[in-house]
Amino acid sequence: MIHRLQVPGPISDVEEVRVLQWHGEPGRAFAPDELIVEVETHKAVVELRAQQPCVLRAILCAEGDWARIGATLALASDDPDEPLPGAPDDAPPLAVAFEVT
Amino acid sequence: MSADAPPAPRVFFREAIARALAEEMAREPRLLLLGQDIGAFGGAYREFAGLHARFGAARVRDTPVAESAMVGVAIGAAAAGTRTLVSITYMDFLMLALDPLVNYGAKLRYKTGGQLRAPVVVKTTAGAKGQGVAHAQCLEAWLMGVPGLKVVAPSTPADAYGLLKSALREDGPVVFVDHKRLFPVAGPLPAHEHVTPFGRAQVVRDGRDVTIATHGYMTVVALDAARRLAHEGVSCEVVDLRCLAPLDVGTVAASAARTGALVTLEEGQPSCGVGAEVAFRVRDAVGTLRVARVGALPAPVSSNPVLEAACVPDASRVVETVRRLLDPARRAAPPSEES
Repeated sequence: MIHRLQVPGPISDVEEVRVLQWHGEPGRAFAPDELIVEVETHKAVVELRAQQPCVLRAILCAEGDWARIGATLALASDDPDEPLPGAPDDAPPLAVAFEVT
Repeated sequence: MSADAPPAPRVFFREAIARALAEEMAREPRLLLLGQDIGAFGGAYREFAGLHARFGAARVRDTPVAESAMVGVAIGAAAAGTRTLVSITYMDFLMLALDPLVNYGAKLRYKTGGQLRAPVVVKTTAGAKGQGVAHAQCLEAWLMGVPGLKVVAPSTPADAYGLLKSALREDGPVVFVDHKRLFPVAGPLPAHEHVTPFGRAQVVRDGRDVTIATHGYMTVVALDAARRLAHEGVSCEVVDLRCLAPLDVGTVAASAARTGALVTLEEGQPSCGVGAEVAFRVRDAVGTLRVARVGALPAPVSSNPVLEAACVPDASRVVETVRRLLDPARRAAPPSEES
């Protein structure tokens, strides 16, 4: 199944974030609790960690780009070769844990 | 800039402040920063982030919680030849420092016949955001009438950057007022270095039926109200004052002369407020003018979110005020030819 990695929320006072750093290229497999991406709010760095095994497939928001709460940052899949959908926002969300540090 | 310049990068409000401070500290070795938690911690809103590491503890100094002493030391240091920015985290606590600021800083040049000056910027954060009666006030109107004091209140990251750089190059004291609700905001900031001159308001939305003059975070509220009123066919011109002392009456008056109606909007108390001053001076310049003021209700700002929201102005109150101001004229006016 294809999943979309979205900007998590709600985060108090935050409407949009800036992508700080991706921790893997498309094709990399992530185990639960592994850090996928860090995003920056106006006062904190938020770590997004996989809560389910997945393969990062496509990064839709590059480092330095801005995204609103709920926006799609990337696509991930259960299996590495599943075809990607044409409309990324239709994919169900990927389960992630996030911590505002 | 050339017409094909790339679009300005977006930055958080705090980053615009930090960039202005870093550039001015690199440019002016005598510039010192004083404040609570502005050192390694980077400031209450991280607007001082990176400065302690780059410029060192001698120039980026953490202070005790002692606002009167902080501003007094800043003015004394400035009189002795430094330039100083002092951060008063919440504007409510600027009250403790009004004596050194008003009686010494603002009058130093006058009292010494120009022999001493106080190039001090007091940066402080105003506004209601869930922190209760003594961490919520907008007191900038108190400061506008002090001879020798300048007061600026940006509403965007770009103006925060440009006005702070101007403030740091002034020869006398400046109060730089930002707002808690502006820190989550991001906006474009041109990559090239620039300053924003004092005393120039900015028309941030063109309109023809009413002028809304405001400053700081209330500019965001005014623009929201203007968008709502556009749906009912009311065209609002929004003027961001940006600088409260000196006040750019000309820009507001030119707008109000065209629209024939002025609404002033501030988060602070309207009695003897920014709007009272703006309304009087604009009507003096324009002549006949319909005027209404919007400000906080005459009550302390509660930390209870429902009561806080009831006290400070929001877009709905601005919309209602504009409707009331325009209604008689709209009934009397012939049908508009514009769609």
